Amino acid sequence: MKPRVYLMILLLIIPAQASLFSPLSLFGIKPDLSLALIYIIGLLTGPTEGALAGMGLGLVQDVSSAGLIGLDGFTRGLFGLCAGALGGRVLNIASPSNIIFLTVFCLAEGIAISLYIQIFYGNVPFISMLFNLMIPQALYTGLLGTLMLRVIKDKNITAMLLRRSLQKE
Amino acid sequence: MPGFIAKNKKTFSLLFLFTLLFWLVTVQVKAGRLTFMEKPVLAVSGFFERFITGAYHAVGSVGRSYAFLVQTHRENERLKREVDQLKLENFITNELLIENGRLRDLLGFKKLQPLNSVTAQVIGRESSPSSRTVTIDKGAEDGIDKDMAVITAAGVVGKVHVVLPGTAKVILLTDPGSTLAVRVQRNREEGLLEGKLARCALKYVSYYADIQEGDLLVTSGLDGIYPKGLPVAGVIKVTKHEASAFQTVVAEPAAGFSRLEEVLVLRK
Repeated sequence: MKPRVYLMILLLIIPAQASLFSPLSLFGIKPDLSLALIYIIGLLTGPTEGALAGMGLGLVQDVSSAGLIGLDGFTRGLFGLCAGALGGRVLNIASPSNIIFLTVFCLAEGIAISLYIQIFYGNVPFISMLFNLMIPQALYTGLLGTLMLRVIKDKNITAMLLRRSLQKE
Repeated sequence: MPGFIAKNKKTFSLLFLFTLLFWLVTVQVKAGRLTFMEKPVLAVSGFFERFITGAYHAVGSVGRSYAFLVQTHRENERLKREVDQLKLENFITNELLIENGRLRDLLGFKKLQPLNSVTAQVIGRESSPSSRTVTIDKGAEDGIDKDMAVITAAGVVGKVHVVLPGTAKVILLTDPGSTLAVRVQRNREEGLLEGKLARCALKYVSYYADIQEGDLLVTSGLDGIYPKGLPVAGVIKVTKHEASAFQTVVAEPAAGFSRLEEVLVLRK
């Protein structure tokens, strides 16, 4: 993807997630736009670009929040890498199976972060967080990402992916 | 060896970046959070958040205005009745305040200081998976400063974390970096409330302390940030482990963070 597209995403992701996505909140659960975007970028561009996009977006989120700088960058970089690796195998980007992959990735990230908080701060109400926050948010994000991929399919990006994989071969 | 590295340049670059990020996190766990980029990022995101929130409200308000007009007459009638009722209640409250003042004087207590506050609107809710913050539309120009308490009528929201001229970032009670000195309202038992993303946990509560589900936690005023006696959270779960000297207390913030629109920033 072109650097200016990445720059635009980096500039707009935080305000869009913070203000535009707030009305989509259901019982305090919001879809994670940034995670859905990293999944899509990874799926469309491959592991390296997916990992770099994940690191970049994660770092922007780290700096704009009050968390440790690098934590989201690290987890989201890994997420982008996995999505990229998956992209080599999933060519039908509009497949409903994406909802499962994205939900599982999102849940894995949530579990990793709560483990980190448990290790360094302790007393994490894990079960309550799993059912009240992580699973609903993962499902919501999975649904959002799959819908976004369906929209992208209309722009013939699948054909572009096929061409790219043929070029690699 | 150099040939192998050159051949796998991409893989090694990624490995290096991941190691660098991991190292950055471990350094901060020991030395505290790095803050060098906070203000520039808040300046950029705050600008866009103001713009997007403004546009969203403008579009939404056109549609809502019509619906409001229809309801206004009905609501006006209801409010008139409520005003009459409140006038009566206010009169009784004033009487009680005067009586309370007299009794306080009698007991030699200090009078409660009126809170010096600024009303701010929430213009953004950041939801990094490892942190919980909101952005408000008031900043240094309005007298907001770092570490000022942020509250709503329902209870404590958090404290100001980063301040710019026109915006400020507020760290919520549920953020893992947030700590707050509290007391159990019922029996004045003390503890330290820490954020755990979805909820909060009370730390350093003795195994023998009497804490029950449904207890209200209020600010103790010991941290020098929050005035004493503000509602903070309700206890929802208490677990005692035989092997530990402390009990695990999970609490739900009294202020509903998912519905935050306006907040009060308490000036020192």
